[in-house]
Amino acid sequence: MEDNGGEDPVNNNNNTTVSSEGSIIKVTVKTPKDKEEIAISEDASVTQFKEEISRRFKAKQDQLVLIFAGKILKDGDSLNQHGIKDGLTVHLVIKTAHKAGDGASSSTSCTSQVGSSSGSSSGPSSAAHSSSVGSTGGPVSAPPQTPNILTGFGDLSSLSSMGMGSANFMELQQQMQSQLMSNPEMLSQIMENPLVQNMMSNPDLMRQMIVANPQMQQLMERNPEISHMLNNPELMRQTMELARNPAMMQEMMRNQDRALSNLESIPGGYNALRRMYTDIQEPMFSAARDQFGNNPFSALGGNSDGGVQPSRTENREPLPNPWGPPSSTDPSEGGGGTGTTGSSTAGSTNPSVSNPLAVNSASLGNGMFSSPGMQSLMQQISENPQLMQNMLSAPYMRSMMQSLAQNPDMASQNPASSPSTGTNPAQQLMMQQMLQMFAGGNASSQTPEVQFQQQLEQLGAMGFINREANLQALIATGGDVNAAIERLLGSQPS
Amino acid sequence: MDKNDTTTYSVQLYIYDLSRGMARNLSPIMLGKQLDGIWHSAIVVYGEEFYFGGVGISSCSPGGTMLGSPDTVVELGNTEVTEEIFMDYLSSLGENTYRGDKYRLFEHNCNTFTNEVAQFLTGRKIPSYITDLPSEVLSTPFGQILRPILDSIHIAPPGGNIINGRHS
Repeated sequence: MEDNGGEDPVNNNNNTTVSSEGSIIKVTVKTPKDKEEIAISEDASVTQFKEEISRRFKAKQDQLVLIFAGKILKDGDSLNQHGIKDGLTVHLVIKTAHKAGDGASSSTSCTSQVGSSSGSSSGPSSAAHSSSVGSTGGPVSAPPQTPNILTGFGDLSSLSSMGMGSANFMELQQQMQSQLMSNPEMLSQIMENPLVQNMMSNPDLMRQMIVANPQMQQLMERNPEISHMLNNPELMRQTMELARNPAMMQEMMRNQDRALSNLESIPGGYNALRRMYTDIQEPMFSAARDQFGNNPFSALGGNSDGGVQPSRTENREPLPNPWGPPSSTDPSEGGGGTGTTGSSTAGSTNPSVSNPLAVNSASLGNGMFSSPGMQSLMQQISENPQLMQNMLSAPYMRSMMQSLAQNPDMASQNPASSPSTGTNPAQQLMMQQMLQMFAGGNASSQTPEVQFQQQLEQLGAMGFINREANLQALIATGGDVNAAIERLLGSQPS
Repeated sequence: MDKNDTTTYSVQLYIYDLSRGMARNLSPIMLGKQLDGIWHSAIVVYGEEFYFGGVGISSCSPGGTMLGSPDTVVELGNTEVTEEIFMDYLSSLGENTYRGDKYRLFEHNCNTFTNEVAQFLTGRKIPSYITDLPSEVLSTPFGQILRPILDSIHIAPPGGNIINGRHS
């Protein structure tokens, strides 16, 4: 007449047979490989549970390790004790002799790794304070390269907390890179460190570092002028100054833009610029192309091939604004900044090696951002979030637009295919509107007529009186006046 | 009988934003809904960080991948599971459901792994905003368009060592 209600003071739960007392609960037992549902009495002990499990999983009881809610179920416990109820899941690990051996060895390797990471983290921190090279000999069995690099930075103790478990140099570089990326302050801190300044004012060392970057090497191969620039110590020094001072860099870039636009307006100047572009910048950007997926200047430079002589008409259109809205020359805005900084004026008095510079600061570590284009792009983006918004609308669309963009291009090259020319502007218009929609109703949600008003006026002033055709041509070329002129000239039946 | 004398190990969840804040700013525009981040997570226990990527289960020192320090750290609690048992468990997982080739960006990703390991170690799941992310993205038209592209992406933050099952 003893019933199994909870009020029985005698604790007789633990020792009886499986299904005599208590109700049966279904517990899911999950291994890494599979899971099974096991029916067991809710008052059963862990031992009994393991018996069931060993039968079901065909494993020996002492190979079974049961885990529930972060606790290991020991044989003497009861399921009740751990709160194992109907429908809950218990985890199981089956130790095989084989696996146990592996487990031991992997755990020893883990601990050794942990040991060395703690050892080497103490190493640089002590070295960081003493700031002497190679003095970490004592307690650390870590690789010697680690202390060498870091001790040079003196008391930048933040560097020592970077998770110094990395056993190889590459990892260290990557870590430094990621630190730099996440903390722009750190870069200026590093720059101000007198040791770094010393290092930087040593042009040979800087040159070596730059040259060590493989992408840089590629660029240099293609274009020996870059290596000339690098060899000029005065130039390097100026560049270092620039790196230290972002305001100065911006100022210089602005000067460049102004100089460029001045150049363009003088007769024959445009051609000189183009020559300069094709000789210097194009290969440079082709080299950095994979970051952009597109030569950023293709829209700007290549279209007016032999069509319009700028000396005939004064080119009043300002240089396409690299930081402007995406309605005109989409791909250029991301690359525009990098482009203008990379080029030098005709006299090449202004050094402006901003691109090699960008590689320089990135060459501290071979991160994914070490290409010159990407680096200055990131810089621009951090200064101007609007730009990011604009730019982001471009890359996602780019793959979709590229195929579409290729069609108008091809169509413009054979004016005979008038049917396709006819539908393309409409398609272009649609694409543009889609693009604007994705960009969140960005500035130009106007009709193309309003959008291209300035260009239309220009075309009118040049003598193209057919406003319809002008508009279509402008739409097809995305607002590029010179290219539109080409289209108009090509398609006129005269 | 009390168990307070067995050693416990603290378990933490490291959460990283793969977009570095871009998702928070741009998701309303691109997706039409607010996503605070593209979350990648890892479990930190026994002084090591464990995560699942396109190359399989990897480990490294905490915060030691290229992603740097985590955006958020969640304390999952304590576990009695010893390192030895855990490594056994991971090897088993790495041979089966968490091999490198089983990585799927939407359905079987780093967060799936982290969720499972968290439950193994502590019985608790990871915060739902992380595991809900794929369905959030897929429920937008933009996500549906991008799905074929995204499906082929395998996220594998460099900087770790791969824990091998015996054969993959």
